[in-house]
Amino acid sequence: MRFYFSRAALALLLLLAPLSLLAQAQYLLRGTVRGTDGSALPGANVAVPALGLGAAANADGRYELSLPAGRHRVVCSFIGYKTVTEDLNLRANQRLDLVLSAGTELQEVVIEGSGTLEQKLQTTQMGVERLSAREAKLLPALFGEVDILKTLQLKPGVQNGGEGTSGLFVRGGSADQNLFLVDDAVVYNPNHLFGLFSTFNSDVVQSVDLYKSGFPAQYGGRLSSVVDVKLREGSRDSAGVSGGIGLISSRLAVETPIAKGKGSILLAGRRTYFDVFTRQINKLNEDTKDYNPIPDYYFYDLNLKANYQLSDKDQVFLSGYFGNDVFGFNSTRGFNFDFNWGNRSATARWSHVFNPRLFTNSSATWSYYTYNIANKLDQFSFGLGSNIRDWNLRSDWEWRPNAKHVVRFGGSGTLHHFGVGRLQANGGSFNIGQNVEYDGLEGGLYAADNFTVNDKLALDYGLRLTGFQSGSNEYGGLEPRAAARYSLTPSLSLKASYALMYQYVHLVTNSGASLPTDIWYPSRLSVKPQRSQQVSTGFSWLIGSGQFLLTDEVYYKWAQRQIDFRDGAQLFVNPELDQEFLFGRGWAYGNEIYLEKKQGKTTGWLGYTLAWTKREFEPQRGTNGINGGRAFFPTYDRRHNLTLVVLHKLNKRVNLTSSFVYTSGNPTTLPTARIGVQDVYGGELQVVPIYPDRNSYRLPSYHRLDLGVVYKLRPWRRIGGESDLTLSIYNAYNRRNPYFIYIDEVKNEETGLPQSYRARQVSLFPVIPSLTYNFKF
Amino acid sequence: MKPIRMILAPLPAPRRAALGLLLAVAALLTTGCGLQKDVEVELPAEPAQLVVECYLENGRVPEMTVSETVPYLSAPAATVLTDVTVTLTSPTGRVETLTFRPGRNPVTRKLYTHRGQRILRMQPGDTWQLTVKDTKGRVVTGAATMPAAVPFDTVEWKFNDRPLDERRALVTARFQDPPGVGDYYRFQIHRDSISGAREVDYTPDDRLLDGQLITLGTSYEFEPDDTLFVTLYHLDRPYYRFLQSVDDAQSANGNPFGQPAAVQSTVQGGIGVFTILNYQRRQIIVR
Repeated sequence: MRFYFSRAALALLLLLAPLSLLAQAQYLLRGTVRGTDGSALPGANVAVPALGLGAAANADGRYELSLPAGRHRVVCSFIGYKTVTEDLNLRANQRLDLVLSAGTELQEVVIEGSGTLEQKLQTTQMGVERLSAREAKLLPALFGEVDILKTLQLKPGVQNGGEGTSGLFVRGGSADQNLFLVDDAVVYNPNHLFGLFSTFNSDVVQSVDLYKSGFPAQYGGRLSSVVDVKLREGSRDSAGVSGGIGLISSRLAVETPIAKGKGSILLAGRRTYFDVFTRQINKLNEDTKDYNPIPDYYFYDLNLKANYQLSDKDQVFLSGYFGNDVFGFNSTRGFNFDFNWGNRSATARWSHVFNPRLFTNSSATWSYYTYNIANKLDQFSFGLGSNIRDWNLRSDWEWRPNAKHVVRFGGSGTLHHFGVGRLQANGGSFNIGQNVEYDGLEGGLYAADNFTVNDKLALDYGLRLTGFQSGSNEYGGLEPRAAARYSLTPSLSLKASYALMYQYVHLVTNSGASLPTDIWYPSRLSVKPQRSQQVSTGFSWLIGSGQFLLTDEVYYKWAQRQIDFRDGAQLFVNPELDQEFLFGRGWAYGNEIYLEKKQGKTTGWLGYTLAWTKREFEPQRGTNGINGGRAFFPTYDRRHNLTLVVLHKLNKRVNLTSSFVYTSGNPTTLPTARIGVQDVYGGELQVVPIYPDRNSYRLPSYHRLDLGVVYKLRPWRRIGGESDLTLSIYNAYNRRNPYFIYIDEVKNEETGLPQSYRARQVSLFPVIPSLTYNFKF
Repeated sequence: MKPIRMILAPLPAPRRAALGLLLAVAALLTTGCGLQKDVEVELPAEPAQLVVECYLENGRVPEMTVSETVPYLSAPAATVLTDVTVTLTSPTGRVETLTFRPGRNPVTRKLYTHRGQRILRMQPGDTWQLTVKDTKGRVVTGAATMPAAVPFDTVEWKFNDRPLDERRALVTARFQDPPGVGDYYRFQIHRDSISGAREVDYTPDDRLLDGQLITLGTSYEFEPDDTLFVTLYHLDRPYYRFLQSVDDAQSANGNPFGQPAAVQSTVQGGIGVFTILNYQRRQIIVR
């Protein structure tokens, strides 16, 4: 690892070399955008319309604009807030803090994502989707549970893992190749209830950025995407309570200013409550003979976010998450089964502004994921579990030597602990304990320069150096990143990007579902780091007098040392787990077309993706590989994917929303033949399916329309609160979408012998209406 | 809910536990809502392969079943292949021919298509060869080595403290695992007769218990005066993999998250199992 880092220092120096500090008659206008309550407004837009220049406020609400000297009219706007205009005469670098007051009526909310179309046209960054929680909240949702990850699935290039699940499969990458960050802390399992809900409570999420390509150099560690979630800050102005009551869960958030408005604390929680009902049902059936009680299940989340302004130049933040899924079953026959899993994380961050050209963010994070199963039957009991724990330190710097360059550099180090498997079993005469665990150290250094060469050309190039160590196993690599934008005309930009990524930790799973029992495993022994490269190119075109942005991106991604497992792999508490892995390669390519409209009464987007994803695992380790070594489509391969999202402000009180999704059917494997096996002793003949090539069958296509209405109720005069009713209709035309198909045996009712075989299709969700009541005061 | 039969030895994989939960949730959601329906599927027709099933035992006349794969959606039909010749080759090279003589073994109640001429003698370590040929040119071959005997240390039972009509017994069996990882077992309990339904059937291995005195057990599930046949097979790895893969292949049908597992045959050129059994059996009456 030392070797790699010494190479790194050199590479970083070379990278910074082209920065010629050209003097420009330009000055920097910088400041923060906050609401009247003092909370930062990330994504707020600060623009000088006369010059066609603008910038979006970052996660701390900070913005910077490089402007020529002279008089300017600065316009600051943000969804749900009244637009502010300031005139100024710029003669030197200047600070301008902007304060926006909330729109008095929710209806005045202009439905608009963070960042304007103009900014999307100008940026070098490709393959990024930014979503604000406000957008997600307006869209119809399954069971009325707003889920920001599911909203991301409506963006081109992003597939879900199955009906109703929040897993993300980005441009042919598998579910473990996404880096989920919440306020800089890694989230290893962002799901509740097997992926039906994500761990991100929409009440506390400010915004989400999803990177699919052209990854900025500050990100690394996963091959396919970065999902960077920022939590919102509490009000610095007055205490408030907000929440919602839904079909399956309720939410409550409390926020309060601290130290006379120098900071704030936000505490939010949510909990499901089907267990309240199932317990009642169990109680009623208590005396029924042979009644098996319905298992107890619930999940909850707690979020804490605090911020404090130490000085004009220093701000500190604390952010924490604690979530659990709890499942319990106690049978009357002496069988107990308890299963719980959850994430915890904590972030402490300090941001410091040295001067208008240099600022830094440093953070310490801790994240932990664990699951535990405790099982008891008569005198036997066993417990098993697994966990992963990270301690991370990172520091990111941004330096603007002049108007043409924005230099970002920094580093991070993570101490991982992989509790790969723990088992404890006890019985009358035995006692077994097994524990497989490893440590790992991961480090990264990066530098990147965003260079505006001239009016037409902008470049963003960088280098990331990463290394990983576990025991005596050491790995490392250089990850070049590059992106360019060329403006053909003021409304048409061509873009291209390249990124190389390494992934040093691997998810041990061989199912398409996101299971709480999936475990993380470090690169060690034969398990080498995964690696991918992606090139993408395309254009952004502002059309319809700037009302629409049409984006097209074509990409090709190839990945080495992809992992899978041999048939019948022993994945649990196996000290030689690395022997169970199989290694192969994967490649994906496709084209994504995206048309979006962000302003006006009617907004939304239309996306279409044409894509191919393949994987290949050659014969190895005494096996035939996977599928006999022939390439196959993974289950998340979809040829066509169309999404249409429309949001319409009908009047002051009513917002209508809809989303439509069409995707090709997913590949699956259906048995083509059967054999009969008698076993050692005769009895019932077992029918055993024989499978053809993997995923050689395509399920019928999937399509679904969701509708939503957000109805703003009259304000509560006495306490000045506001509230709304959100109606969601999931699968509005009640399509029976295929979830999976299986072959069923039909038995003769008299003889009990098999009579025929038939294929059965299972669908998961019919039309599901739901109503949610949201309030804020 | 099925009685939970696995206690310690199969060390229930957590993935299975999670999947079980997930499927329970899915079943709850899909049943009763009209969310299942018959569909037409076009499954590609693949050439039929020979399927063999042959378990040799010391001191028994060899019997085996030869059949072939059939399209999954075809109607069940009793087709017997009449053009198959079967030979076994002993460790000394002596060839035994199994003749086509379909029948049913009165003890095991098992159907067979081919039967040997005489009782075969074999001991641990002996390797026998199997060759199956038909007139279409299909050939299946296999070799099997008899595993060493692993005797019971104890077989015991114990009643719970429930009232008389709820009184049930559990059974534990103990044995010494030979040193070295790679021993596989199959633990079965039959009630009343060995050809009846299996009350307990699982296949532990010694991965976590190598060289130890291993205890296998059941839950409190046997009634007073039950006659039980407790059997412990010592398996070789190919046969163990075959059993596991048959299980996996069956559970992948109807499980949206299961990987479609291929049956891991112990034979080449076709599908199926050829193995030599070595087991210990105790008959007990719990009272």
